[in-house]
Amino acid sequence: MVDYNKPLPNVNQDSKEFWTGCKVHELRFQKCKDCGHIRWPASMICPLCYSRDTQWIVASGKGKVYTFVVYHVAYHPGFKDDVPYVVAVVELEEGPHLLTNIVGCKPDEVRCDMPVEVTWEDITEEFSLPQFRPIS
Amino acid sequence: MVLSYGHNAFSSDSMRRLLVERNADDAVFGHFGAAAGYALAARRGMHSFRTGPETWKHIAVGQRKWANLNPVATMYERTMTFDDYYNARWVVAPFRLLDNCLMTDGGRAIVITSAERARDLRHPPVLIMGMGQHNPAYDVHQATHLTGPTGAKKAGEMALTMAGITIEDIDACEIYDCFTYTVEITLQDYGFFGPGEGQDWFRGGTIEPGGGMPVNTSGGQLSEAYYMGLTPLSEAAMQLMGRCGRRQLGPTTNTKSPAVILCSDTGGILQTHTCIILRRP
Repeated sequence: MVDYNKPLPNVNQDSKEFWTGCKVHELRFQKCKDCGHIRWPASMICPLCYSRDTQWIVASGKGKVYTFVVYHVAYHPGFKDDVPYVVAVVELEEGPHLLTNIVGCKPDEVRCDMPVEVTWEDITEEFSLPQFRPIS
Repeated sequence: MVLSYGHNAFSSDSMRRLLVERNADDAVFGHFGAAAGYALAARRGMHSFRTGPETWKHIAVGQRKWANLNPVATMYERTMTFDDYYNARWVVAPFRLLDNCLMTDGGRAIVITSAERARDLRHPPVLIMGMGQHNPAYDVHQATHLTGPTGAKKAGEMALTMAGITIEDIDACEIYDCFTYTVEITLQDYGFFGPGEGQDWFRGGTIEPGGGMPVNTSGGQLSEAYYMGLTPLSEAAMQLMGRCGRRQLGPTTNTKSPAVILCSDTGGILQTHTCIILRRP
């Protein structure tokens, strides 16, 4: 953990609640109090109805793989020992699409629409990453 | 007016740095650059309709055949077979190395003026018939247009309407080809074939010298040079002027002599799109 050598999140006012939730292993998203749309990335206003009235909800952590790729090249030295690794867009049950990793299976076992659930990688004292694994 | 582009993308690290620049928190998950973004789109395409390397190999190999007729193409002296395509190393799967465009030191420029002024110039001019633009804009994570319709659909319709022609009137295409899949989804959204029909449409050398719909006749960004939107646009103009030597459309390459050529440009990860249709005077 001490010598974690990959990029860390850039936390801002909008994303703070998301990363705080990750630290306690909760996937938190904003839900519009007016139209009910659950959104990601976090933002001040609802992209569908422009309301500013928002509450944070905790997502189930279940979803399916919308699309994915397998990196065979490390574009950052921190990922040198990880290749081949999977980057995916997961469509959560609640709606948001989240860019993440698929772990817990071989890269060639990943499929679009495969059911997945969140699993947490505690990378530093401050941050945990939401990654996803196949639902067995 | 001069429209120009120049870059030392191959010999400097400026393009590489641009491509791995941080986009929000993507880098936290090891996600960088354009190849992986388009690969996310291409993978969803493989799930949604019949596409994949079986289709893309025709694009990579077909364009290489044009480059082999173009002395200024980076890949002029290097032929490519389907086996070469399949044996190329993975970059970000489903893309192999030969699904990716080149990085190039060089540039292009186009002079744009009025039709009246152009009459006196040394070279015959080429006329702009129609233009269209459509920008879905969504970031690749949130995008649901990765498998079409991309911006190409509306931009193409706008350009054809302005030109007063239909897709049947197009003699050749110069398509922005950052990756092989970009060529397929762009031609598909323009309406040259239906979703997944590309595998059959490209088969048998459709886009190659001697083919029924020549595409990226300089070798394109995959095999000639990457000059952003000016790779397709400059080639269309040169073809319509008849200045293309051994790769000249018409009897030289056993193709139709071109009166009308369609060009595309794509930005971001399928986030912006421009279609321009050019013709001989």
